[in-house]
Amino acid sequence: MRFVAGIDSGSGFTKSIIVADSGSSIDTPVVVGLSITRTGVNMEESARRALDDAITAAGLRAKDINYIASTGFGRYSISFRDIQITEITSGSRGAYHLMPQTDLVLDIGSQSTRAISLKNDGKVRSFKTNDKCAAGSGSFIQRAAKYLEVPIEEVGDMALRATNPQPISSVCAVLAESEIINLVSTGLSVEDILRGIYDSLADRASLLLKRAGLGQRLVFIGGVAKQNGMVKALEDRLKVPVIVPPGCEYVCALGAALLGLKRLQASTTITRKGMKVKEAALHQVRETQTREFI
Amino acid sequence: MRFAAGVDVGSTQTKAVIMEEQAGLVARVLVDTGANVTKAAEHSFQAACNKAHIDPRDVGYVVGTGYGRYKITFGNAQMTEITCHARGASHVFPSTRTVIDMGGQDAKAISIDDSGQVLDFVMNDKCAAGTGRFLANAAEVMGIGLDEVGPLSLEGTRPVKLTTVCTVFVESDILSYLSMGRKPSDILRGVHLAMAKRTVSLARRVELHPGITMTGGVARNSGMVQALEEVLQTKLQVSPDAHFMGAIGAALFALERGDDSFETSVWRQTCVS
Repeated sequence: MRFVAGIDSGSGFTKSIIVADSGSSIDTPVVVGLSITRTGVNMEESARRALDDAITAAGLRAKDINYIASTGFGRYSISFRDIQITEITSGSRGAYHLMPQTDLVLDIGSQSTRAISLKNDGKVRSFKTNDKCAAGSGSFIQRAAKYLEVPIEEVGDMALRATNPQPISSVCAVLAESEIINLVSTGLSVEDILRGIYDSLADRASLLLKRAGLGQRLVFIGGVAKQNGMVKALEDRLKVPVIVPPGCEYVCALGAALLGLKRLQASTTITRKGMKVKEAALHQVRETQTREFI
Repeated sequence: MRFAAGVDVGSTQTKAVIMEEQAGLVARVLVDTGANVTKAAEHSFQAACNKAHIDPRDVGYVVGTGYGRYKITFGNAQMTEITCHARGASHVFPSTRTVIDMGGQDAKAISIDDSGQVLDFVMNDKCAAGTGRFLANAAEVMGIGLDEVGPLSLEGTRPVKLTTVCTVFVESDILSYLSMGRKPSDILRGVHLAMAKRTVSLARRVELHPGITMTGGVARNSGMVQALEEVLQTKLQVSPDAHFMGAIGAALFALERGDDSFETSVWRQTCVS
Protein backbone atom coordinates (compact mmCIF):
# COMPACT_ATOMS: atom_id res chain seq x y z
CA MET A 1 0.00 0.00 0.00
CA ARG A 2 1.33 3.39 -0.94
CA PHE A 3 0.18 6.75 0.33
CA VAL A 4 0.45 9.99 -1.53
CA ALA A 5 -0.32 13.40 -0.05
CA GLY A 6 -1.61 16.38 -2.00
CA ILE A 7 -1.26 19.81 -0.41
CA ASP A 8 -3.08 22.79 -1.85
CA SER A 9 -1.57 25.91 -0.36
CA GLY A 10 -4.20 28.50 -1.17
CA SER A 11 -4.16 32.16 -0.24
CA GLY A 12 -6.99 31.70 2.24
CA PHE A 13 -6.82 28.07 3.30
CA THR A 14 -4.38 25.19 3.03
CA LYS A 15 -5.99 21.87 2.16
CA SER A 16 -4.37 18.47 2.44
CA ILE A 17 -5.59 15.10 1.23
CA ILE A 18 -4.09 11.62 1.40
CA VAL A 19 -4.85 8.95 -1.16
CA ALA A 20 -4.03 5.27 -0.83
CA ASP A 21 -3.06 3.08 -3.76
CA SER A 22 -3.05 -0.68 -3.48
CA GLY A 23 -0.68 -1.03 -6.40
CA SER A 24 -3.24 -2.98 -8.39
CA SER A 25 -4.16 -1.51 -11.72
CA ILE A 26 -7.88 -2.17 -11.34
CA ASP A 27 -8.27 -0.34 -8.04
CA THR A 28 -8.87 3.37 -8.16
CA PRO A 29 -7.02 5.35 -5.53
CA VAL A 30 -9.08 6.08 -2.40
CA VAL A 31 -9.03 9.10 -0.16
CA VAL A 32 -8.07 8.07 3.35
CA GLY A 33 -7.65 11.41 5.08
CA LEU A 34 -8.17 15.10 4.60
CA SER A 35 -7.79 18.34 6.48
CA ILE A 36 -8.12 22.07 6.06
CA THR A 37 -6.45 24.90 7.92
CA ARG A 38 -6.24 28.67 7.50
CA THR A 39 -3.13 29.72 5.61
CA GLY A 40 -0.95 31.76 7.91
CA VAL A 41 1.84 34.16 7.09
CA ASN A 42 4.27 31.26 7.03
CA MET A 43 2.85 29.10 4.27
CA GLU A 44 5.18 26.19 4.82
CA GLU A 45 4.15 25.98 8.45
CA SER A 46 0.46 25.94 7.46
CA ALA A 47 1.18 23.22 4.89
CA ARG A 48 2.99 21.17 7.51
CA ARG A 49 0.06 21.54 9.87
CA ALA A 50 -2.49 20.58 7.19
CA LEU A 51 -0.44 17.53 6.23
CA ASP A 52 -0.01 16.41 9.84
CA ASP A 53 -3.75 16.76 10.42
CA ALA A 54 -4.55 14.73 7.32
CA ILE A 55 -2.06 12.03 8.37
CA THR A 56 -3.70 11.87 11.79
CA ALA A 57 -7.16 11.75 10.22
CA ALA A 58 -6.02 8.84 8.05
CA GLY A 59 -4.64 7.04 11.11
CA LEU A 60 -1.16 6.99 9.61
CA ARG A 61 2.28 8.15 10.62
CA ALA A 62 4.44 10.68 8.82
CA LYS A 63 6.82 8.02 7.54
CA ASP A 64 3.97 6.18 5.81
CA ILE A 65 3.68 8.92 3.21
CA ASN A 66 5.57 7.92 0.06
CA TYR A 67 5.16 11.04 -1.98
CA ILE A 68 4.07 14.66 -1.52
CA ALA A 69 2.67 16.84 -4.28
CA SER A 70 2.08 20.54 -3.70
CA THR A 71 -0.17 22.89 -5.59
CA GLY A 72 -1.76 26.30 -5.17
CA PHE A 73 -0.45 29.81 -4.70
CA GLY A 74 2.12 28.77 -2.06
CA ARG A 75 3.28 25.52 -3.69
CA TYR A 76 6.90 26.64 -4.01
CA SER A 77 7.18 27.51 -0.36
CA ILE A 78 6.65 23.89 0.68
CA SER A 79 10.22 22.64 0.84
CA PHE A 80 9.27 19.06 1.79
CA ARG A 81 7.40 18.49 -1.47
CA ASP A 82 8.47 15.93 -4.06
CA ILE A 83 6.78 17.77 -6.88
CA GLN A 84 4.83 20.97 -7.45
CA ILE A 85 1.90 21.25 -9.82
CA THR A 86 0.00 24.36 -10.90
CA GLU A 87 -3.51 24.69 -9.52
CA ILE A 88 -4.81 24.71 -13.10
CA THR A 89 -3.51 21.18 -13.68
CA SER A 90 -4.41 19.86 -10.24
CA GLY A 91 -7.89 21.41 -10.29
CA SER A 92 -8.77 19.95 -13.65
CA ARG A 93 -7.31 16.54 -12.73
CA GLY A 94 -9.33 16.45 -9.51
CA ALA A 95 -12.53 17.61 -11.19
CA TYR A 96 -12.09 15.09 -14.02
CA HIS A 97 -11.51 12.29 -11.51
CA LEU A 98 -14.73 13.11 -9.67
CA MET A 99 -16.83 13.95 -12.73
CA PRO A 100 -15.32 12.34 -15.83
CA GLN A 101 -17.90 13.96 -18.14
CA THR A 102 -16.80 17.47 -17.26
CA ASP A 103 -15.49 19.75 -19.97
CA LEU A 104 -15.36 23.04 -18.07
CA VAL A 105 -14.09 23.77 -14.58
CA LEU A 106 -14.68 26.93 -12.59
CA ASP A 107 -12.53 27.33 -9.50
CA ILE A 108 -13.22 30.29 -7.22
CA GLY A 109 -10.95 30.63 -4.23
CA SER A 110 -10.15 33.35 -1.75
CA GLN A 111 -8.01 35.39 -4.08
CA SER A 112 -8.40 34.08 -7.57
CA THR A 113 -10.88 32.82 -10.07
CA ARG A 114 -9.94 30.28 -12.73
CA ALA A 115 -11.90 29.02 -15.70
CA ILE A 116 -10.47 25.90 -17.33
CA SER A 117 -11.71 24.25 -20.49
CA LEU A 118 -10.92 20.52 -20.65
CA LYS A 119 -10.31 18.08 -23.50
CA ASN A 120 -12.07 14.70 -23.58
CA ASP A 121 -9.24 13.03 -21.69
CA GLY A 122 -9.38 15.58 -18.86
CA LYS A 123 -6.27 17.46 -19.97
CA VAL A 124 -6.29 21.24 -20.00
CA ARG A 125 -7.32 22.75 -23.33
CA SER A 126 -7.17 26.38 -22.25
CA PHE A 127 -7.62 28.45 -19.14
CA LYS A 128 -8.12 32.01 -17.99
CA THR A 129 -7.42 33.33 -14.53
CA ASN A 130 -8.15 36.47 -12.63
CA ASP A 131 -5.65 36.94 -9.87
CA LYS A 132 -4.90 40.61 -10.27
CA CYS A 133 -8.06 41.92 -8.71
CA ALA A 134 -10.22 40.85 -5.80
CA ALA A 135 -13.47 41.54 -7.62
CA GLY A 136 -14.98 38.19 -8.48
CA SER A 137 -13.05 36.24 -5.85
CA GLY A 138 -14.04 34.83 -2.50
CA SER A 139 -12.50 37.72 -0.62
CA PHE A 140 -15.14 39.97 -2.18
CA ILE A 141 -17.89 37.99 -0.43
CA GLN A 142 -15.84 37.76 2.72
CA ARG A 143 -15.43 41.52 2.93
CA ALA A 144 -19.07 42.17 2.07
CA ALA A 145 -20.19 39.70 4.74
CA LYS A 146 -17.95 41.51 7.20
CA TYR A 147 -19.48 44.91 6.70
CA LEU A 148 -22.98 43.52 6.50
CA GLU A 149 -22.22 41.68 9.73
CA VAL A 150 -23.40 38.34 8.38
CA PRO A 151 -21.43 35.17 9.27
CA ILE A 152 -19.83 33.88 6.07
CA GLU A 153 -21.54 30.47 6.42
CA GLU A 154 -24.97 32.10 6.27
CA VAL A 155 -24.36 34.36 3.28
CA GLY A 156 -25.39 31.74 0.71
CA ASP A 157 -28.69 30.84 2.35
CA MET A 158 -29.56 34.46 2.97
CA ALA A 159 -28.97 35.37 -0.66
CA LEU A 160 -31.40 32.63 -1.72
CA ARG A 161 -34.13 34.42 0.20
CA ALA A 162 -33.72 37.60 -1.86
CA THR A 163 -36.91 38.92 -3.40
CA ASN A 164 -35.58 41.96 -5.21
CA PRO A 165 -31.86 41.51 -5.97
CA GLN A 166 -29.91 44.77 -5.98
CA PRO A 167 -27.30 45.07 -8.71
CA ILE A 168 -23.88 46.07 -7.35
CA SER A 169 -22.24 48.22 -10.00
CA SER A 170 -18.80 48.48 -8.48
CA VAL A 171 -16.35 46.01 -9.86
CA CYS A 172 -13.83 46.64 -7.11
CA ALA A 173 -14.13 44.75 -3.82
CA VAL A 174 -13.01 47.80 -1.91
CA LEU A 175 -15.19 50.36 -3.65
CA ALA A 176 -18.20 48.06 -3.39
CA GLU A 177 -18.02 48.67 0.33
CA SER A 178 -19.34 52.23 0.10
CA GLU A 179 -21.94 51.14 -2.41
CA ILE A 180 -23.15 48.44 -0.05
CA ILE A 181 -23.24 50.86 2.87
CA ASN A 182 -25.32 53.24 0.76
CA LEU A 183 -27.71 50.43 -0.17
CA VAL A 184 -28.08 49.51 3.50
CA SER A 185 -28.74 53.12 4.46
CA THR A 186 -31.52 53.38 1.86
CA GLY A 187 -33.26 50.55 3.71
CA LEU A 188 -32.70 47.64 1.34
CA SER A 189 -32.71 44.16 2.78
CA VAL A 190 -29.42 42.40 3.42
CA GLU A 191 -30.73 39.39 1.47
CA ASP A 192 -31.26 41.48 -1.66
CA ILE A 193 -27.82 43.06 -1.36
CA LEU A 194 -26.12 39.69 -0.88
CA ARG A 195 -27.82 38.30 -3.95
CA GLY A 196 -26.59 41.36 -5.87
CA ILE A 197 -23.05 40.59 -4.76
CA TYR A 198 -23.35 36.99 -6.01
CA ASP A 199 -24.78 38.25 -9.29
CA SER A 200 -21.81 40.55 -9.68
CA LEU A 201 -19.44 37.62 -9.01
CA ALA A 202 -21.36 35.41 -11.42
CA ASP A 203 -20.99 38.08 -14.10
CA ARG A 204 -17.22 38.15 -13.67
CA ALA A 205 -17.06 34.35 -13.66
CA SER A 206 -19.12 33.99 -16.81
CA LEU A 207 -16.89 36.45 -18.66
CA LEU A 208 -13.89 34.38 -17.65
CA LEU A 209 -15.61 31.12 -18.68
CA LYS A 210 -16.44 32.57 -22.08
CA ARG A 211 -12.83 33.56 -22.60
CA ALA A 212 -11.60 30.11 -21.54
CA GLY A 213 -13.77 28.41 -24.15
CA LEU A 214 -17.04 26.66 -24.44
CA GLY A 215 -18.33 23.80 -22.36
CA GLN A 216 -21.65 22.36 -21.31
CA ARG A 217 -20.85 20.27 -18.27
CA LEU A 218 -19.55 22.74 -15.76
CA VAL A 219 -17.98 21.62 -12.52
CA PHE A 220 -17.64 24.34 -9.89
CA ILE A 221 -14.87 23.86 -7.33
CA GLY A 222 -13.04 25.89 -4.69
CA GLY A 223 -14.18 27.28 -1.37
CA VAL A 224 -16.78 29.61 -2.89
CA ALA A 225 -18.57 26.62 -4.49
CA LYS A 226 -19.77 25.69 -0.99
CA GLN A 227 -22.05 28.72 -1.08
CA ASN A 228 -25.39 27.74 -2.57
CA GLY A 229 -26.25 31.38 -3.24
CA MET A 230 -23.31 31.59 -5.62
CA VAL A 231 -24.28 28.33 -7.35
CA LYS A 232 -27.80 29.66 -7.91
CA ALA A 233 -26.52 32.99 -9.23
CA LEU A 234 -24.21 31.16 -11.66
CA GLU A 235 -26.97 28.86 -12.89
CA ASP A 236 -29.27 31.82 -13.48
CA ARG A 237 -26.55 33.68 -15.31
CA LEU A 238 -25.15 30.82 -17.42
CA LYS A 239 -28.43 28.95 -17.98
CA VAL A 240 -26.66 25.60 -17.54
CA PRO A 241 -26.70 23.27 -14.53
CA VAL A 242 -23.71 23.81 -12.27
CA ILE A 243 -22.30 20.67 -10.66
CA VAL A 244 -20.59 21.06 -7.31
CA PRO A 245 -18.77 17.91 -6.18
CA PRO A 246 -18.86 17.14 -2.46
CA GLY A 247 -15.67 18.37 -0.85
CA CYS A 248 -15.37 21.05 -3.54
CA GLU A 249 -12.64 22.87 -1.63
CA TYR A 250 -10.36 19.79 -1.69
CA VAL A 251 -10.46 19.20 -5.45
CA CYS A 252 -7.08 20.79 -6.21
CA ALA A 253 -5.44 18.89 -3.35
CA LEU A 254 -7.01 15.70 -4.66
CA GLY A 255 -5.80 16.38 -8.18
CA ALA A 256 -2.29 17.03 -6.87
CA ALA A 257 -2.33 13.76 -4.91
CA LEU A 258 -3.52 11.82 -7.97
CA LEU A 259 -0.88 13.35 -10.20
CA GLY A 260 1.71 12.68 -7.51
CA LEU A 261 0.63 9.06 -7.41
CA LYS A 262 0.94 8.80 -11.17
CA ARG A 263 4.44 10.16 -10.90
CA LEU A 264 5.31 7.73 -8.14
CA GLN A 265 3.97 4.82 -10.18
CA ALA A 266 5.97 5.94 -13.21
CA SER A 267 9.21 6.15 -11.28
CA THR A 268 8.75 2.76 -9.60
CA THR A 269 7.90 1.09 -12.89
CA ILE A 270 11.22 2.17 -14.22
CA THR A 271 12.98 0.80 -11.17
CA ARG A 272 11.14 -2.51 -11.42
CA LYS A 273 12.30 -2.98 -14.97
CA GLY A 274 15.73 -3.27 -13.51
CA MET A 275 17.06 -0.08 -14.98
CA LYS A 276 19.74 1.62 -12.96
CA VAL A 277 17.95 4.71 -11.95
CA LYS A 278 20.19 7.31 -10.54
CA GLU A 279 18.79 10.27 -8.69
CA ALA A 280 19.61 12.56 -11.60
CA ALA A 281 17.87 10.40 -14.14
CA LEU A 282 14.81 10.15 -11.97
CA HIS A 283 14.87 13.86 -11.58
CA GLN A 284 14.92 14.25 -15.34
CA VAL A 285 11.86 12.03 -15.65
CA ARG A 286 10.14 14.19 -13.08
CA GLU A 287 11.00 17.31 -14.97
CA THR A 288 9.69 16.07 -18.34
CA GLN A 289 6.52 14.76 -16.80
CA THR A 290 5.94 17.98 -14.96
CA ARG A 291 6.15 19.78 -18.26
CA GLU A 292 3.72 17.32 -19.75
CA PHE A 293 1.29 17.92 -16.96
CA ILE A 294 1.51 21.63 -17.25
CA MET B 1 -18.81 91.72 2.76
CA ARG B 2 -20.09 89.09 0.37
CA PHE B 3 -19.61 85.47 1.30
CA ALA B 4 -19.86 82.35 -0.78
CA ALA B 5 -19.29 78.71 0.10
CA GLY B 6 -18.09 75.55 -1.62
CA VAL B 7 -18.97 72.15 -0.21
CA ASP B 8 -17.13 69.15 -1.62
CA VAL B 9 -18.82 65.93 -0.54
CA GLY B 10 -16.23 63.27 -1.20
CA SER B 11 -16.62 59.54 -0.75
CA THR B 12 -14.51 59.58 2.38
CA GLN B 13 -14.36 63.17 3.60
CA THR B 14 -16.48 66.25 3.16
CA LYS B 15 -14.78 69.59 2.78
CA ALA B 16 -16.44 73.00 3.21
CA VAL B 17 -14.83 76.37 2.63
CA ILE B 18 -16.11 79.93 3.00
CA MET B 19 -14.70 82.59 0.70
CA GLU B 20 -15.08 86.31 0.73
CA GLU B 21 -14.77 88.50 -2.34
CA GLN B 22 -11.87 90.59 -1.03
CA ALA B 23 -10.35 88.44 1.72
CA GLY B 24 -10.36 85.15 -0.21
CA LEU B 25 -10.44 81.98 1.85
CA VAL B 26 -11.79 82.73 5.33
CA ALA B 27 -12.64 79.25 6.70
CA ARG B 28 -12.08 75.63 5.86
CA VAL B 29 -13.53 72.55 7.54
CA LEU B 30 -12.99 68.86 7.03
CA VAL B 31 -15.34 66.13 8.32
CA ASP B 32 -15.72 62.42 7.64
CA THR B 33 -18.52 61.76 5.18
CA GLY B 34 -19.83 58.62 6.86
CA ALA B 35 -23.04 56.93 5.82
CA ASN B 36 -25.25 60.01 5.93
CA VAL B 37 -24.06 62.21 3.10
CA THR B 38 -26.66 64.95 3.59
CA LYS B 39 -25.83 65.31 7.25
CA ALA B 40 -22.09 65.46 6.57
CA ALA B 41 -22.65 68.29 4.09
CA GLU B 42 -24.82 70.26 6.53
CA HIS B 43 -22.45 69.66 9.38
CA SER B 44 -19.37 70.79 7.48
CA PHE B 45 -21.11 73.89 6.15
CA GLN B 46 -22.36 74.89 9.59
CA ALA B 47 -18.92 74.31 11.11
CA ALA B 48 -17.28 76.43 8.40
CA CYS B 49 -19.75 79.28 9.07
CA ASN B 50 -18.98 79.05 12.79
CA LYS B 51 -15.29 79.18 12.07
CA ALA B 52 -15.76 82.26 9.89
CA HIS B 53 -17.98 83.79 12.62
CA ILE B 54 -20.85 84.34 10.22
CA ASP B 55 -24.46 83.27 10.06
CA PRO B 56 -25.20 80.67 7.35
CA ARG B 57 -27.78 83.14 6.02
CA ASP B 58 -24.95 85.59 5.27
CA VAL B 59 -23.60 83.20 2.70
CA GLY B 60 -24.97 84.43 -0.58
CA TYR B 61 -24.36 81.41 -2.70
CA VAL B 62 -23.37 77.77 -2.10
CA VAL B 63 -22.00 75.44 -4.76
CA GLY B 64 -21.88 71.72 -4.02
CA THR B 65 -19.46 69.34 -5.66
CA GLY B 66 -18.06 65.85 -5.22
CA TYR B 67 -19.78 62.50 -5.56
CA GLY B 68 -22.44 63.40 -2.99
CA ARG B 69 -23.25 66.83 -4.40
CA TYR B 70 -26.87 66.02 -5.26
CA LYS B 71 -27.53 65.06 -1.67
CA ILE B 72 -26.83 68.62 -0.48
CA THR B 73 -30.17 70.09 0.51
CA PHE B 74 -29.10 73.72 1.03
CA GLY B 75 -26.93 74.31 -2.06
CA ASN B 76 -27.79 76.76 -4.83
CA ALA B 77 -26.05 74.79 -7.55
CA GLN B 78 -24.04 71.64 -8.17
CA MET B 79 -20.95 71.25 -10.30
CA THR B 80 -18.78 68.25 -11.05
CA GLU B 81 -15.60 67.83 -9.04
CA ILE B 82 -13.65 67.84 -12.31
CA THR B 83 -14.65 71.44 -13.04
CA CYS B 84 -14.13 72.50 -9.44
CA HIS B 85 -10.67 70.96 -9.03
CA ALA B 86 -9.60 72.52 -12.31
CA ARG B 87 -10.89 75.90 -11.20
CA GLY B 88 -9.33 75.69 -7.75
CA ALA B 89 -5.97 74.51 -9.05
CA SER B 90 -5.72 77.18 -11.73
CA HIS B 91 -6.72 79.85 -9.19
CA VAL B 92 -3.99 78.83 -6.73
CA PHE B 93 -1.38 78.00 -9.37
CA PRO B 94 -2.21 79.96 -12.53
CA SER B 95 0.39 78.00 -14.51
CA THR B 96 -1.51 74.73 -13.99
CA ARG B 97 -2.15 72.76 -17.18
CA THR B 98 -2.67 69.32 -15.67
CA VAL B 99 -4.36 68.43 -12.40
CA ILE B 100 -3.77 65.10 -10.69
CA ASP B 101 -6.45 64.60 -8.09
CA MET B 102 -6.12 61.66 -5.74
CA GLY B 103 -9.06 61.29 -3.43
CA GLY B 104 -10.40 58.72 -1.03
CA GLN B 105 -11.96 56.48 -3.64
CA ASP B 106 -10.99 57.76 -7.04
CA ALA B 107 -8.07 59.17 -8.95
CA LYS B 108 -8.37 61.69 -11.76
CA ALA B 109 -6.20 63.49 -14.22
CA ILE B 110 -7.56 66.68 -15.73
CA SER B 111 -6.06 68.62 -18.58
CA ILE B 112 -6.93 72.34 -18.57
CA ASP B 113 -6.22 75.39 -20.71
CA ASP B 114 -4.70 78.68 -19.56
CA SER B 115 -8.07 80.02 -18.43
CA GLY B 116 -8.74 77.00 -16.22
CA GLN B 117 -11.25 75.41 -18.60
CA VAL B 118 -11.33 71.63 -18.66
CA LEU B 119 -10.03 70.23 -21.95
CA ASP B 120 -10.03 66.53 -21.11
CA PHE B 121 -10.04 64.22 -18.13
CA VAL B 122 -9.68 60.57 -17.18
CA MET B 123 -10.70 58.95 -13.98
CA ASN B 124 -10.27 55.68 -12.21
CA ASP B 125 -13.42 54.89 -10.31
CA LYS B 126 -13.61 51.18 -11.05
CA CYS B 127 -10.73 50.10 -8.89
CA ALA B 128 -9.37 51.34 -5.58
CA ALA B 129 -5.73 51.03 -6.69
CA GLY B 130 -4.23 54.49 -6.87
CA THR B 131 -6.67 55.99 -4.40
CA GLY B 132 -6.49 56.96 -0.76
CA ARG B 133 -8.21 53.73 0.14
CA PHE B 134 -5.20 51.81 -1.08
CA LEU B 135 -2.93 53.74 1.28
CA ALA B 136 -5.40 53.52 4.16
CA ASN B 137 -5.56 49.75 3.75
CA ALA B 138 -1.80 49.42 3.59
CA ALA B 139 -1.45 51.58 6.70
CA GLU B 140 -4.00 49.47 8.53
CA VAL B 141 -2.33 46.18 7.65
CA MET B 142 0.98 47.51 8.88
CA GLY B 143 -0.52 49.04 12.00
CA ILE B 144 0.79 52.48 11.12
CA GLY B 145 -1.22 55.71 11.25
CA LEU B 146 -2.31 57.01 7.84
CA ASP B 147 -0.52 60.31 8.48
CA GLU B 148 2.75 58.51 9.13
CA VAL B 149 2.96 56.27 6.05
CA GLY B 150 4.11 59.04 3.70
CA PRO B 151 6.99 60.36 5.84
CA LEU B 152 8.03 56.80 6.73
CA SER B 153 8.10 55.77 3.07
CA LEU B 154 10.61 58.55 2.41
CA GLU B 155 13.07 56.71 4.65
CA GLY B 156 12.88 53.63 2.44
CA THR B 157 16.06 52.98 0.50
CA ARG B 158 15.35 49.58 -1.06
CA PRO B 159 11.69 49.65 -2.13
CA VAL B 160 9.96 46.27 -2.38
CA LYS B 161 8.27 45.23 -5.61
CA LEU B 162 4.57 44.55 -5.29
CA THR B 163 3.07 41.72 -7.32
CA THR B 164 -0.35 43.37 -7.46
CA VAL B 165 -1.96 46.77 -7.14
CA CYS B 166 -5.25 45.34 -5.93
CA THR B 167 -6.05 46.93 -2.58
CA VAL B 168 -7.25 43.62 -1.21
CA PHE B 169 -4.42 41.44 -2.44
CA VAL B 170 -1.69 43.85 -1.55
CA GLU B 171 -2.41 42.97 2.07
CA SER B 172 -0.90 39.53 1.62
CA ASP B 173 2.05 41.03 -0.26
CA ILE B 174 2.70 43.36 2.65
CA LEU B 175 2.32 40.59 5.21
CA SER B 176 4.72 38.32 3.39
CA TYR B 177 7.31 41.10 3.09
CA LEU B 178 6.91 41.80 6.80
CA SER B 179 7.40 38.12 7.59
CA MET B 180 10.50 38.14 5.41
CA GLY B 181 11.82 40.84 7.70
CA ARG B 182 11.75 43.70 5.21
CA LYS B 183 11.76 47.16 6.76
CA PRO B 184 8.36 48.89 6.98
CA SER B 185 9.89 51.95 5.30
CA ASP B 186 11.02 49.85 2.30
CA ILE B 187 7.61 48.23 2.03
CA LEU B 188 5.85 51.58 2.19
CA ARG B 189 8.20 53.04 -0.38
CA GLY B 190 7.27 50.16 -2.68
CA VAL B 191 3.57 50.77 -2.01
CA HIS B 192 3.89 54.47 -2.84
CA LEU B 193 5.90 53.82 -6.00
CA ALA B 194 3.41 51.21 -7.24
CA MET B 195 0.58 53.67 -6.66
CA ALA B 196 2.47 56.49 -8.35
CA LYS B 197 3.18 54.37 -11.43
CA ARG B 198 -0.45 53.42 -11.70
CA THR B 199 -1.61 57.01 -11.35
CA VAL B 200 0.92 58.29 -13.86
CA SER B 201 -0.15 55.71 -16.42
CA LEU B 202 -3.71 56.89 -15.88
CA ALA B 203 -2.64 60.51 -16.20
CA ARG B 204 -0.77 59.83 -19.45
CA ARG B 205 -4.12 59.15 -21.05
CA VAL B 206 -4.72 62.90 -21.05
CA GLU B 207 -2.05 65.13 -22.49
CA LEU B 208 0.45 65.78 -19.72
CA HIS B 209 1.66 69.35 -19.99
CA PRO B 210 4.20 71.00 -17.69
CA GLY B 211 2.57 72.76 -14.79
CA ILE B 212 1.22 69.75 -12.94
CA THR B 213 -0.75 70.47 -9.78
CA MET B 214 -1.69 67.76 -7.36
CA THR B 215 -4.95 68.03 -5.44
CA GLY B 216 -7.10 65.84 -3.20
CA GLY B 217 -6.54 64.33 0.21
CA VAL B 218 -3.63 62.16 -0.89
CA ALA B 219 -1.66 65.32 -1.74
CA ARG B 220 -1.09 65.73 2.01
CA ASN B 221 1.04 62.60 1.87
CA SER B 222 4.63 63.76 1.30
CA GLY B 223 5.71 60.24 0.29
CA MET B 224 3.14 60.13 -2.48
CA VAL B 225 4.11 63.55 -3.81
CA GLN B 226 7.74 62.48 -3.87
CA ALA B 227 6.94 59.15 -5.55
CA LEU B 228 4.87 60.89 -8.23
CA GLU B 229 7.67 63.40 -8.81
CA GLU B 230 10.12 60.54 -9.20
CA VAL B 231 7.95 58.68 -11.70
CA LEU B 232 7.05 61.85 -13.63
CA GLN B 233 10.59 63.22 -13.43
CA THR B 234 9.22 66.67 -12.68
CA LYS B 235 8.23 68.82 -9.73
CA LEU B 236 4.60 69.00 -8.69
CA GLN B 237 2.76 72.08 -7.45
CA VAL B 238 1.13 71.20 -4.16
CA SER B 239 -0.76 73.74 -2.11
CA PRO B 240 -1.17 73.33 1.66
CA ASP B 241 -4.88 73.52 0.79
CA ALA B 242 -4.65 70.75 -1.82
CA HIS B 243 -7.19 68.72 0.11
CA PHE B 244 -9.71 71.58 -0.20
CA MET B 245 -9.10 72.35 -3.86
CA GLY B 246 -12.47 71.02 -5.03
CA ALA B 247 -14.30 73.04 -2.38
CA ILE B 248 -12.23 76.12 -3.19
CA GLY B 249 -13.09 75.76 -6.87
CA ALA B 250 -16.75 75.41 -5.96
CA ALA B 251 -16.58 78.50 -3.74
CA LEU B 252 -14.94 80.49 -6.53
CA PHE B 253 -17.82 79.59 -8.83
CA ALA B 254 -20.22 80.49 -6.03
CA LEU B 255 -18.61 83.93 -5.64
CA GLU B 256 -19.07 84.58 -9.33
CA ARG B 257 -22.59 83.26 -9.45
CA GLY B 258 -23.69 85.30 -6.49
CA ASP B 259 -22.50 88.34 -8.34
CA ASP B 260 -24.95 89.84 -10.82
CA SER B 261 -22.28 91.43 -12.90
CA PHE B 262 -20.79 88.00 -13.34
CA GLU B 263 -24.02 86.76 -14.89
CA THR B 264 -23.40 89.27 -17.63
CA SER B 265 -19.81 88.30 -18.09
CA VAL B 266 -20.71 84.62 -18.38
CA TRP B 267 -23.43 85.50 -20.81
CA ARG B 268 -20.96 87.56 -22.79
CA GLN B 269 -18.40 84.79 -22.80
CA THR B 270 -20.99 82.33 -24.06
CA CYS B 271 -21.94 84.70 -26.85
CA VAL B 272 -18.35 85.23 -27.89
CA SER B 273 -17.55 81.55 -27.98
